[in-house]
Amino acid sequence: MKSAIFSDWAEWLPRLLDGLWVSVQVTGLSLIIGLVVGLLLALAAFARTRLLTWPAVLLVEIGRGMPALVMLQLVYFGLPSVGLTLETYAAVVLALSLTTAAYTSEIIRAGLRAVPDGELEAADALGMSRSDVMRFVVIPQGLRIALPTLLGFAILIFQISSLAFSLGLPELLSQAYSIGANTFRYLDVLTLAGLLYLAVTIPAGWLVARFERRLSRHLTT
Amino acid sequence: MKQAESILSLRDVEKTFAGHKAVDGVSLDIARGEVVAVIGPSGSGKSTMLRCINLLEVPDSGTISVDGKNLDTSGTVSARDLTQLRRRVGMVFQSFNLFPHMTVLRNISLPQERVLGRSREEADRRSMELLERVGLQQKADAYPAKCSGGQQQRVAIARALALDPEIMLFDEPTSALDPELGLEVLAVMRQLADTGMTMIVVTHEIHFAATVADRLIVMADGRILEQGPPQQVLDDPQHARTRTFLSAIKDR
Repeated sequence: MKSAIFSDWAEWLPRLLDGLWVSVQVTGLSLIIGLVVGLLLALAAFARTRLLTWPAVLLVEIGRGMPALVMLQLVYFGLPSVGLTLETYAAVVLALSLTTAAYTSEIIRAGLRAVPDGELEAADALGMSRSDVMRFVVIPQGLRIALPTLLGFAILIFQISSLAFSLGLPELLSQAYSIGANTFRYLDVLTLAGLLYLAVTIPAGWLVARFERRLSRHLTT
Repeated sequence: MKQAESILSLRDVEKTFAGHKAVDGVSLDIARGEVVAVIGPSGSGKSTMLRCINLLEVPDSGTISVDGKNLDTSGTVSARDLTQLRRRVGMVFQSFNLFPHMTVLRNISLPQERVLGRSREEADRRSMELLERVGLQQKADAYPAKCSGGQQQRVAIARALALDPEIMLFDEPTSALDPELGLEVLAVMRQLADTGMTMIVVTHEIHFAATVADRLIVMADGRILEQGPPQQVLDDPQHARTRTFLSAIKDR
């Protein structure tokens, strides 16, 4: 019986690994796009640029307030009604990017705010321009402060990417479901899929913790 | 020294915070090379006055002129005027405010590169000169967290000096330091005064004020209460307020 499970797992594994690869891709792309937008939103909020405030706040509030599952469905089924039809893959990346941007902008903003005011004053007093103060003092330190939380969020968005199964994207959970539908061995295949998620998230969590310790090294006496 | 050209003039400078007049019509002329110590109880407006000079606080009204160039502060100050002013006025803070993610050398070189457009080599050379002057060349590659408070403050002084300012402002530079570490900072400041730098020092260090300053200013309630040669003010204060404050300091 035991060996039967393992031979089944070995048979399913290639498909699940294909799925895992799609999950990783979608997560990676959403993180890249979402982080860039998140950083821009955070900078706009930090600089209190009025022009950008209103749409930025709207995007952040919607992105954080709406469940990721609803966001996925709205982008995929809702956008065609305003004339924008996206393939599943693109729709998933867009929806997850929006969620990522909304969350990371708040994480980054908190990091930027955590840079001590005294350093900003010192930079001002030295005659450094606003953009130099941001570039050399605020952003490097703010991102460093935000980084552990951002990496933690990256792990979370990887897990959230499983919701894309609802749109039929062939990522890890979809593959598991379709194997389950063929074999009626849902529990077994879902267990294996769950282990694959853990095989990514647990080591990633360790790396984040190690990284965090390394980053704060120069701040200790 | 007395009637030499004045390098810095404040006229009727006022600054109000939430209905409280922190600086209430201060006028002041400082001669080139003069060392002025400013004392007064906390809340007397001495730090705010200092911060108005390089416009970290923009006064509500009044004019500030550095080297004859007038700056009316009642309107908005343009970014260019601001940069021009700050290039000529260096400032040292109570809390050092070094950039913790950069080495000591980078802390001093970066502003030179960004503000004065010096090359990295040129900036580093100047930084090392100044580090030597404040006795910290061996700390060039250390991060600020690896330096004592006194060392950090000396680096902060070097960082400000690296931009070749004409006036140096010190806002309670030793208040956050143990007395012993304060001494090494005061020694650097004393040495700086000897080179002829124009300095305005907000401080509680009466001995430093008495021995290094050319003029002592006593502030209370946002105004200049009295001023004069340090010995004269310390030995024969004219105002009851000054006497109370001085005896409070001396009795410590």
